[in-house]
Amino acid sequence: MECYSEQTCAIFVDGELAADEGRCLRDHLATCPRCRKLVDALRAENRVLGESLHELAEEPAPFRRGRRSWVWGDLATLAAVLALGSICSAWIDRLRIPEGLEWFNPFSTSGLMNLIFNFSYYFAQGGTAMLADYAAVVGGLFLLGGGALVLGRRWRLHKPVLHLLIVVFALSLPSFAIERRHGEFVTVAANETVDDTLLAAGKTVRVEGVVNGDLLVFGRSLEVRGRVKGDLVSFARTTAVSGTVEGRIYNFSQSLDMDGELGHSIYAWVQSLRVDNRGRVGDSIVCGAGDVSLEGEVKRSATIFAGNAEVSGSIGRDLDMAGGSLTLTNTARVGGNLRARVHQSKDVQVAAGATIAGRRDIQVHVRENQFTRPRFYFHQAVWLGAAMLVGWLGLVLFPGFFQACTQAVGSGWRSLGLGIGVLATVPLSIVVAAVTLVGLPVALMLLAAYLAAIYLAKIWVGAFLGRVLLKPAGATKRDWLVGLLVGLLVLTIVGFIPYLGGLIRLLIICLGLGAFAWQLYRSSRPTIAA
Amino acid sequence: MEGLDLESVIERARGHEAEALGELYRRYVRRVFGLCRCMLNSRESAEDATSEVFLKLQRSIESYDVSIPFPRWLLRVAGNHCIDLLRHQGRGRQVIVEVEDEATVIEAPSAQPSPLGAVMSKEERAQVRNAVASLPDKYRLPLTLRYYSELSYDEIAEQLDLERNHVAALIFRAKQQLRRKLAHGSK
Repeated sequence: MECYSEQTCAIFVDGELAADEGRCLRDHLATCPRCRKLVDALRAENRVLGESLHELAEEPAPFRRGRRSWVWGDLATLAAVLALGSICSAWIDRLRIPEGLEWFNPFSTSGLMNLIFNFSYYFAQGGTAMLADYAAVVGGLFLLGGGALVLGRRWRLHKPVLHLLIVVFALSLPSFAIERRHGEFVTVAANETVDDTLLAAGKTVRVEGVVNGDLLVFGRSLEVRGRVKGDLVSFARTTAVSGTVEGRIYNFSQSLDMDGELGHSIYAWVQSLRVDNRGRVGDSIVCGAGDVSLEGEVKRSATIFAGNAEVSGSIGRDLDMAGGSLTLTNTARVGGNLRARVHQSKDVQVAAGATIAGRRDIQVHVRENQFTRPRFYFHQAVWLGAAMLVGWLGLVLFPGFFQACTQAVGSGWRSLGLGIGVLATVPLSIVVAAVTLVGLPVALMLLAAYLAAIYLAKIWVGAFLGRVLLKPAGATKRDWLVGLLVGLLVLTIVGFIPYLGGLIRLLIICLGLGAFAWQLYRSSRPTIAA
Repeated sequence: MEGLDLESVIERARGHEAEALGELYRRYVRRVFGLCRCMLNSRESAEDATSEVFLKLQRSIESYDVSIPFPRWLLRVAGNHCIDLLRHQGRGRQVIVEVEDEATVIEAPSAQPSPLGAVMSKEERAQVRNAVASLPDKYRLPLTLRYYSELSYDEIAEQLDLERNHVAALIFRAKQQLRRKLAHGSK
């Protein structure tokens, strides 16, 4: 009789062969030493497999998770932080820094916004490499700081994260003197004076009276015809200032029209910026815009990153421009140097009647093929090495968390959706926290954490991709790092695909951010030892 | 509670006695955790799943059929929970997709002893577990349910929503892959 196949013998050894066939096989075994030997080997194999797997039951059991309950400790912590936050708010509120030093003070709104706008400008000049460099520094500091805290002891991300959230929440309390108004039409009448900082949200916001503090606006359109003694922060779609703003203007909108008086600077990220011939800017302009038209007066410098810029008014000091095209008409006056970085020399048109007191420095920025420069490859190798180092540090200091984040990338749409939400909402939270003044330290911490998470996103997605491609036999640190290297190489190459590369990089950031947020949420759930 | 026999503990647990439920947790948490760990391939996920299984137990113990040995029933509940989690991760698709006419690797019975058949040291058994962990889901799940939970082919087929013959083929191929991995690892 023919021997049975190995598979049939295996099913027989498992006791799963049909009764009739089993009987026949048993009869065959009585006369076939070769099949008997095979069946014995398969039985031994099953025994070892069973013993090996059952040893899993000898591993330490997990802690028992209980229902989360408010403990008095949490309440006491919250109360203490609220009290501390209130005392700090009152103390900060009484501080007065000399006006002339405000721009220097990184913890003041103006100093911080100065930093953010100049950063944005130089980032636009330097490209995404700059963001990666800054984020790498912040990420590295974050990791080192975290490593110093947890070195030598096992840190479970449970209660500390919860307490941190309590602190963040408590310190994000709005400052004392804020008046809030919201509705379809929000108006400060001509004979009205608001003695606080005004937070206005509505379809149309019109200020005809006086606001003695700052003005913060969210809405479709904003008109300032009256007077704002502090700063103006506008997230309105269209902003028109025909009155007076004694402080600064921070504007993120589609259009900003300025034909009033401004005491200090404009910091704008807009589609269109126009300073009318009646407009007066008491300090500088720093803006990123599609179109810029300066017909009025800017007392100091203008730093513009724009598609098209036209200057027909006067600029007291330097004019720095980078972008598409720059036109200076006959009535244009530049009291300092003119520096322009454009793609072609014909993109800068300076009329014969224009006056430029200083030097003219027009740089034509011809985009070289970066792939032909050895420095590009050196830079990529350094970036890759830095990412590997950060990944290794993270794995050593937070092995469970890092590996769990890597795994969480695999949940696909959940990570992507969460990541898009985090990417969009955190910057808004940072700005809102910052303008409350008492929330400035929190805003800075959030910004640092945000940049660190953006940097680490690539590492988690790279590690996940590496595991998918290599399918390592084990789950050791070495396997994780090798997977990270392969994954990062693939992501780097894919990121240079024309047009698609930017979208792919964005997807990577969203996936990684989402995995991080999900894992942070899971880690914050408390455990109670059995 | 420690000295009580299992039947008494189960009876008290059906009455939702906290101490009895705690005793069941104490006796079986490691076995359940071991199964979840093997099926989900992640310690963190296995910890979550273990907690959820014992929470489910509090609700479902009333439906426990005494004709089935309790550990077997509990491991079946745990196995079902892990399969649900994997299915959820796969967005509702079947955990293992049945492919018709899947090519079967038919190997002649080897004259050499299987690397799985030798008496093994603790480290070698750990290598076996690592090799099992590295198997793809379609092989690892039925293998675990068979040799850890000790379920029959029919029970595995029911849990994984597959045909019995397909389960047999998957378990056989899983062992073939394990042999290859271990043989490769020993070189």
